[in-house]
Amino acid sequence: MSKHQALDTLGRSGNPIIRSAAFQDKVSANEERMSLEGAVNKTGILLFLTVLAAAFSWNFQGPFMAIISSLGTLVALISGIMTFGFYFFFVGWLVEPRPYNAPRTAPIYAIGMGLFIGLISQQAENMYPGIVIQAVSLTFFVAASLLLAYKTGVIKPNQNLLLMIFAATMGIFLTYIANLVYFLITGNNFFVLTDNGTVGILVSLFIIGIAALNLVLDFDIIEQADEQGAPKYMEWFGAMALMATLIWLYIEILRLLMKLRSR
Amino acid sequence: MSYLTIFLGILGLLSAFVFFYFLKFKASTKQTERGDRIKWSKYIPYRDKTSREDLKKESQDATFKDD
Repeated sequence: MSKHQALDTLGRSGNPIIRSAAFQDKVSANEERMSLEGAVNKTGILLFLTVLAAAFSWNFQGPFMAIISSLGTLVALISGIMTFGFYFFFVGWLVEPRPYNAPRTAPIYAIGMGLFIGLISQQAENMYPGIVIQAVSLTFFVAASLLLAYKTGVIKPNQNLLLMIFAATMGIFLTYIANLVYFLITGNNFFVLTDNGTVGILVSLFIIGIAALNLVLDFDIIEQADEQGAPKYMEWFGAMALMATLIWLYIEILRLLMKLRSR
Repeated sequence: MSYLTIFLGILGLLSAFVFFYFLKFKASTKQTERGDRIKWSKYIPYRDKTSREDLKKESQDATFKDD
């Protein structure tokens, strides 16, 4: 089986009725459909909730808030898994994606991650004043640039790009898991993740590049779901995917700026 | 506050406006009318729940009650 064929089978239902295009069209004709405008509104709502939670966690620092932020992050991760599923190399889907959960899980995810980024942003701002504004601005700059590149057709996502981004994202994810285990055992992080030398900065730039390319995939999901007349809840799913990538991008940009400022 | 922070802050505001403004527009035909597009419906089973509900509804419709 080629790599493309293997990738094609991910998340595909074995039920021939559900897989039938004619059946899909019939279903979508019976229910309210998503729109680009709706997805944008939902993204705005999720961004507002994230900023609100981040402001709360920023202003009420302390051991109690650290526990609340940790719980918030855990709940956000569970919400993410309940919506996007959980795929693992050589094993397949450990949890199937359930996009219809998105209207319930997306606000929980936004608040949970907001609490987390509020905490880390405040600590970064204490060390390097002005760094949070810079990181937020650069995140939106990267997102806007890639959106324009996508809408105008400069970047055209296809199967090859998907395979590359998917493999790189999973690689980064596994590195983070391995780093967490290493940290719990030794109390130290991997050198390449924390180094503020050339290697560490190149690694950060690579991770930022992959996070940014994930945005292109999110734009394509939203665009295609709108074209195909997907159900209304796909607005929340698209918005949640976009927020998840924006938050990841923000954290990586913040980490890169901290490395640069500590040199 | 440094000039760099002020400059990046203004850039960020403009970028956020551009991002939310252009997100609601459809992509160009150069992007949408391609043969090698990713078929997302293969990976994201967004019709599974509605399909099941629809099948259930259809099976109920086909049941004739004796009055």
